[in-house]
Amino acid sequence: MEHRGVTPRPADVPWVRTLEAPDGVWAVFLQARRRDAHVYVGDVHAPDAEMALVLAKENYARRDPCVSLWVVPARAIRATAGDAAEMFEPATDKSYRFGGSYRQQQRVYRGGYHAAPTEDDR
Amino acid sequence: MTVPAPSSTITDPTVRAAFQEWLVRIADDELAIGHRHSEWTGVGPDIESDVAMSSIAQEELGHARLFYEQLSGEESGGADRLAFGRRPEEFRNAVLLEQPNQGWEFSIVRLVLYEAYETLRLGLLAQCGQEPVAGLAATLGREERYHGLFGATWLERLARPPADARARVQAALDAAWPYALGFFETTDADGVLLRAGLLPDPAERQLDAWEAAVRPLLERCALAPPAGRPCLGGRRGIHTPALTEMHAAMTEVWASDPEARW
Repeated sequence: MEHRGVTPRPADVPWVRTLEAPDGVWAVFLQARRRDAHVYVGDVHAPDAEMALVLAKENYARRDPCVSLWVVPARAIRATAGDAAEMFEPATDKSYRFGGSYRQQQRVYRGGYHAAPTEDDR
Repeated sequence: MTVPAPSSTITDPTVRAAFQEWLVRIADDELAIGHRHSEWTGVGPDIESDVAMSSIAQEELGHARLFYEQLSGEESGGADRLAFGRRPEEFRNAVLLEQPNQGWEFSIVRLVLYEAYETLRLGLLAQCGQEPVAGLAATLGREERYHGLFGATWLERLARPPADARARVQAALDAAWPYALGFFETTDADGVLLRAGLLPDPAERQLDAWEAAVRPLLERCALAPPAGRPCLGGRRGIHTPALTEMHAAMTEVWASDPEARW
């Protein structure tokens, strides 16, 4: 069994941080098709959510497919601290968790369930 | 230069000419506003709105091209020749659309007034019964929805207190409104189209519908249209010096070699 080097962290080092963003920065999440997750695609500057959505539409959804947009104040996002990355590294072999078959299942769900893309997928 | 006939089922030459005149107005309106919007590229108030305005400009120019293609038919390069090969007095756009941008608030006010009119006019054109123009009008209406949303969202924020901000927007509206009434300027063509059943509503009814569409937004922004006489001329080819200046800039590249293939 392989052991990776993990430096012990003192318990009082914060591992949650707030994104550093100036006022009025909104994170934009784009959903390409109905069953997809909303994916972060970039930011817009806007004084409020409505304007952020209006600007996001033309800045992020004018070329690629999109069925829905989310905007979130960038400062409302809580993130793991950068030096917490090692926490995500497996210390022991966990290949039994990788679950590649789930991706296969997703393909079956998408492709087999509706052999041809439906109106919903667009 | 003369405008060639579109492929069409209209046999009466008077009605045909009137229908063409209507299409020229539409195409010229789209070209003029598209060109003016495009002048914001690179100098918009923020990068996001710069991109959005540029994208709207492209779409309006795209609409102009589609209508010029309807007018020029199969002729190769015909749409470009109509857009860039005519003299300013041959243009039939409303004079509001050739005015320089002046400031962002003027461009937004103009966009709002024009989009409301454009939505209405595409609706009328979609009912004209002439294919493929009617189908085209119905399709283009989809893009105009975003243009209107962009304009309304900006206008509402520009007109918010402090008071001097709203005063600037009101001044832009005072300047734009009389010209906007020129959207509804008529020529003999309007009567011909009405009698032939191609145009369902006379200009007065179009004006009422347009006012009903823009007034709620203006009221929400505590803006009031000014009283005063409309500034007409565009539909008869009588333009302001702004068109001469815009025309020179717009046609410069094409005029350097009219036979070039782009």
